[in-house]
Amino acid sequence: MKQLFIFILVAFSMLLSACNSSEGNEGEGTANAKGGEETKGKTEVTFWHAMGGQAQVALDEIVKKYNESQDDVQVNAEFQGTYEETLSKYHSVGGTDDAPTIVQVNEIGTMSVINSGNIEPIQKFIDEEDYDMSNLEANITNYYKVDGKFYSMPFNSSTPVMYYNKDAFKEAGLDPEAPPETYEEVEAAGKAIKESNPEMKGFALQAYGWLFEELLANQGGLLLNNDNGRDDTATEVAFDNEQGKSIFKWIERMMDDGTFANYGTNSDNMVTGFLSGDVAMFMQSSASARDVIDNAPFEVGVAFIPYPEKEERQGVVIGGASLWMSKGKPEAEQKAAWDFLKYLQKPEIQAEWHVGTGYFAINPAAYEEQVVKDAYNEMPQLQVTVEQLQATKPSIATQGALMDMIPEERKIIETALETVYNGGDVDEAFSTAVEQVNAAIEQANTARGE
Amino acid sequence: MKEAVMIPEQYKQIDFMKVKKKQKRVRFIKGMLFLLPSILLFSVFLFYPMARTLYLSFFLTDNSGATTVFVGLDNFKNIFTSPIFLKSLQSTFLFVLYTVPGTIIISLFLAVIANEKLTGIGFFRMIFSSTMGISVAAASVFWMFLFHPTMGWLNQFLEALGFEAIGWLTNPEWALLSVSISTIWMNLGFTFLILLGGLQSIDSHLYESAEIDGASYFYKLRRITVPMLSPTLFFVITVSFINAFQTFGQIDMLTRGGPQNETNLLVYSIYQEAFKNYQYGTASAQAVILFFIILLMTLLQFKLGERKVHYQ
Repeated sequence: MKQLFIFILVAFSMLLSACNSSEGNEGEGTANAKGGEETKGKTEVTFWHAMGGQAQVALDEIVKKYNESQDDVQVNAEFQGTYEETLSKYHSVGGTDDAPTIVQVNEIGTMSVINSGNIEPIQKFIDEEDYDMSNLEANITNYYKVDGKFYSMPFNSSTPVMYYNKDAFKEAGLDPEAPPETYEEVEAAGKAIKESNPEMKGFALQAYGWLFEELLANQGGLLLNNDNGRDDTATEVAFDNEQGKSIFKWIERMMDDGTFANYGTNSDNMVTGFLSGDVAMFMQSSASARDVIDNAPFEVGVAFIPYPEKEERQGVVIGGASLWMSKGKPEAEQKAAWDFLKYLQKPEIQAEWHVGTGYFAINPAAYEEQVVKDAYNEMPQLQVTVEQLQATKPSIATQGALMDMIPEERKIIETALETVYNGGDVDEAFSTAVEQVNAAIEQANTARGE
Repeated sequence: MKEAVMIPEQYKQIDFMKVKKKQKRVRFIKGMLFLLPSILLFSVFLFYPMARTLYLSFFLTDNSGATTVFVGLDNFKNIFTSPIFLKSLQSTFLFVLYTVPGTIIISLFLAVIANEKLTGIGFFRMIFSSTMGISVAAASVFWMFLFHPTMGWLNQFLEALGFEAIGWLTNPEWALLSVSISTIWMNLGFTFLILLGGLQSIDSHLYESAEIDGASYFYKLRRITVPMLSPTLFFVITVSFINAFQTFGQIDMLTRGGPQNETNLLVYSIYQEAFKNYQYGTASAQAVILFFIILLMTLLQFKLGERKVHYQ
């Protein structure tokens, strides 16, 4: 009886461990193909990332190059799904031995990871060897500097830009080299396009909280109080004013004109719509620049994102992700990881990354590399994305908001945008959104015990 | 003789009780032994998570799911006053109402016609059950193309007929219906196969004797097929109900709960609270509610529905 019980227990735990180990093997697949003997004597660094598709190919290539460039460190890059999935997984293993050495977290996860206390701020390594972070693009490092301290190494960064159909502009008698800059000009261009081609809508804005945040920052508006949550933990929203509402009003005016194309929250549908000539302008991450330009059967223009006429253009907040180091790992492993992080910032690596994906080069020296110059000759539009970032005026607004509940805020804003897209009342949708975001902030602050 | 009977009888009484008790204990242990593997598995994968969910629903948590503040029943109070959760409850019930009868009626119809003995009927049986072999993700991608606002076949078809295009997944009035249509399509294969199996196990003598009595086709359908199929139907309805309440994949692929939370079904709402907003407490409270809803619905079905079931 007792033996049987023990037998069952043993069998059961074997089953469990079998599940575990098979899972582990699966994860190591990608970059650790050689494995085995080669890694002997090397310090192994596990690197969790969320780069799928084209970006994964580019990243794997960089990791491979790094592993071949020296004999001390072996980096194993493991794809973990979307940013959200990666972050959830990291939160559940953070602080244990299963945690990866390096993890990639998107910009809005910043506060969430800092609050978890499972990471080692990279400031420690910067101080140890006086690493010069000022080599990197200031508009990017500004975002990741929290309380004057670098917690993570910026890696893949992008901002939204406005894509437009140059051929459609020509047909409508608009100057394809002078894209609209303000909300009012976008509206006028939309009307002209609709007049020349009733089948084509003027402008599409995906219902996406990030784009709302960017449009807000571009007119100098703050998202959260306490200086966008950077001075102290935010307690309520700061966009409950004319600036916040102006974005909703702008959409409503275009809807009244019949020039607004509604693709809901689906960005793939919007891009397909643009490529098939159903809409002439749309806003999207600069990281898709390559994809859009390569696939369009017409000439694509890339422009700065618009702002209301009466305001001044402030610029954009950096989006994308940064790389974090786990706490509690052996010093040798951390040192190895730090070496890899520094490697990623090299101009030639950043140049390759920029051209291969459309993400920015963190290190501006990369723009001087020949690969980048060649790519710009071929696709001058890529350069616009960089110009917009470099034209950004550093301020609290363009530094971007920090708080752990930003994903929830985005979802609420998306619902509000969709309400307006479907003919809902602007004032009502806006005030509901403000109310809900404030409630979410309160809940998040209570949950932290503050 | 009399004495001999008297004394042992006294002992027997005591012995009997003892033996019975002992037997009972042995039987209990034996039974438990047989149940042990499933008890172990269930407690690791089911009972423990359930207890943990209940526990979490009384707390607020940090981003890793560790409890921070005890709030008692506040999570439940909050979700029941939250218009988003109430909307999600409403959508879930509507979704169940659209998909369960829809799936059952269509697949019953298909099963009945595929049950006729005709040459080449095997081909149709294969076609009708083929959606079983398609994963939710693949089917959702396929439907996403059909639903595309401008390039989708559905809208091109409508426009060719002179109607106005419909924002299948972007119009809040249509989105839930669109997701329901694709879900019905995905579930057809499984339901069809089970029902066809049920139909084929009905004794053909019943039909033969009804035919001799001159019963019409529809009379036979109503008086023989449906009653004889009732255990299978009952099973299919119960399973479909539970599946409908737990729908997740197609929502994540097609609408992500949008437009305006119109398709934010319960399980998707739980997922969002837990893994996007990191509010494990709220998510657990919602999961507890979902558990009780499914429990209640299943109990109701067994109470009300099973009475009408005819077991052979």
